[in-house]
Amino acid sequence: MKRRKAGPSGVVEAPLDVRTQALAKEEERPSVKDGRLRTYEPGDNAARFLDLLGRRVSRSLAVSLTACVHCGLCAESCHYFLARPDDPTMTPVWKADQIRKIFKRHVDWTGRIAPWWVKAGTVRNDEDLNRLKNIVFGTCSACRRCTYNCPMGVDTGLLVRFTRGLLTELGIVPEGVFNVSRDQWETGNQMAVTEQDYLETLEWMRDEVRTELGTNAVDIPVDKKGCDVLYTINPREIKFDPRSIAHAAKIFHVAGESWTLPKWGWDQTNFGLFSGDDKLGAYVARNVYEAAERLRVKRIVISECGHGYRSTRWEGYTWAGYDQKLPTESVVVTLKRYLETGRIAVEPSRNAVAVTFHDSCNIARSGDLVEEPRDVLRRVCADFREMFPNRRENFCCTGGGGLLSMAEYRPLRLEVAKIKADQLRATGAMLVCTMCHNCIDGLADVIKHYRLPMRVVQVMELVSNALVVPAESVK
Amino acid sequence: MSEFLKILENEVQIAALVFLALVYAGRLVWLFRFKNRKDRTFAAGSGGAGAGYSLMNIAMPGAMESTRKRPGFYAQFVIFHAGVAAAIAGTFIIPYAPGVFEVKGIVLLFQAVIAAAFVVGLLRLVRRLTDPVLREVSSPDDYFSLVLLIVWFAAGALAVPNRPEKGEWPLILYFGLTAFFLAYVPFSKICHYLYYPFTRFYLGRSLGHRGALPPSPGKRATAGTAKERA
Repeated sequence: MKRRKAGPSGVVEAPLDVRTQALAKEEERPSVKDGRLRTYEPGDNAARFLDLLGRRVSRSLAVSLTACVHCGLCAESCHYFLARPDDPTMTPVWKADQIRKIFKRHVDWTGRIAPWWVKAGTVRNDEDLNRLKNIVFGTCSACRRCTYNCPMGVDTGLLVRFTRGLLTELGIVPEGVFNVSRDQWETGNQMAVTEQDYLETLEWMRDEVRTELGTNAVDIPVDKKGCDVLYTINPREIKFDPRSIAHAAKIFHVAGESWTLPKWGWDQTNFGLFSGDDKLGAYVARNVYEAAERLRVKRIVISECGHGYRSTRWEGYTWAGYDQKLPTESVVVTLKRYLETGRIAVEPSRNAVAVTFHDSCNIARSGDLVEEPRDVLRRVCADFREMFPNRRENFCCTGGGGLLSMAEYRPLRLEVAKIKADQLRATGAMLVCTMCHNCIDGLADVIKHYRLPMRVVQVMELVSNALVVPAESVK
Repeated sequence: MSEFLKILENEVQIAALVFLALVYAGRLVWLFRFKNRKDRTFAAGSGGAGAGYSLMNIAMPGAMESTRKRPGFYAQFVIFHAGVAAAIAGTFIIPYAPGVFEVKGIVLLFQAVIAAAFVVGLLRLVRRLTDPVLREVSSPDDYFSLVLLIVWFAAGALAVPNRPEKGEWPLILYFGLTAFFLAYVPFSKICHYLYYPFTRFYLGRSLGHRGALPPSPGKRATAGTAKERA
């Protein structure tokens, strides 16, 4: 592969750091020991990569690998290229071509017959694979904005995830990806929250809501069988922002919802989506689906999380080979239903400041929800305003694709976040609302870096603020 | 008409078409050997409607930001491909329905469309040579295919009057290039039209199943007015 620096940050040349992998091997961590999580072994990785490539390509990937006509129309849909218009290596077409040329050389007949004619190429060694790692992990958030802008329908986001999956199988991944994958394999959640931490935090939040509402009738049930709703959350809620659980408890209480959290299988996030590891994806998703079966609930509700929603609602069933049996929805859809059916009442004047909405890529472009959060926000906010472009054309928060866990790519991520910062600034809003925990951190980084006079909130927080608590709810 | 031109317009074209069809069939067999994943989720929309919308994307310049913001580029696309269609049609009309090109208006129409495509082809070549992004990703096949089409358009514009008595070389060039094309296309980027229905179908079906395509009127992205953006 051609050696090229991706500008001043030199992202493409970032070295492969395997210190935590070595430590995990030394400590004989269970996920490493039993082979669920692959670690890097110097050797014939190029051959293994090519073997995996040949075996794993699906039909939809194969057509995306063959159909590109190099028209370049995808370039201006990518925030990386918009922020670095002089760098062709920031375009989706160039990034996708790095895997496409290998596919052409080894799988597709044109590249086998005359490789130079179609610019087919190969990977010769671990250095080449590391470079590929930096491209697919470090210069793309897999937001799929380019997918929606390709006249041919080439799914570059899917190609990037596929390539990440091959590299993950070889342990050629950023340290952060290895660490989070290890935690999710070993603890069932990606932040290694212990069961004790989990249960104590839930109790703490239950007590907070009891104090706020002045009633002991509020509960945060765990492993209660036969409820209508199984509520699944993001470990970030336990670890960094438990208020969102309190908001949910308060709203569910007022709505008279029959709900529970599971003791196991509560993490709806799924690092398999980011690492491209379908096995991890299947394991984590199956935990949730099996918890729902075990507790005989009627519906799975996913707290506000972009990639968690995409993984649990859409991709997880396919990864796990598990036919969907229960309705699976975002809590924002649940909130919308409460508002529409009058199960909760709100007073929008309690959210008086200007609020704008950021569409999460995984929900808007790879999922089905764009109007639902808007419906809710229009009911609970006095001054809701759109950012432009929006919905499926919105720009990534720049922290998507797992990039928040990859510190080595942070300078480039913040540089290209200029596009997002401009978009946010133009709204004049004081609050940017998003229904994704990843976007919260991504946007918070952008806001801090570009010194924007706003903060990030979630839909649940605004609904909770505006919630009218009837007298019978506090008895 | 010379015997050589007669064979070139008939037997050679048929042989080249058969070759094209055989290679395409092989290509499709190759494609279908890749496994397709089954979607196991409840639908939020219609996979069929999504696939239909996605396939019709070609006729909806407003559907994508990339073409909506570049109407000129979309116009070039339409002209270029109209030229391709006209030039292909010419290769059938001349040997099998020569009477059509006895109508001067039709000949002029074909020449105008093909000549416009020729100009667009040149513009595309300039773009590919001067745009750093395109230069970086372009392969020899990308350039060769485009140059080949430009030359073919030129030959087509000269050949459609179908006057072998005034000189056979435009017809020989046109049909010779067509035969070469038919044999070369399956190995080049030009066969993207074979893949287009598949990429569009799979993407549209997947996103349609999720309810993301087609976008309902309320779900269309808004770029905002200048005032709003300000």
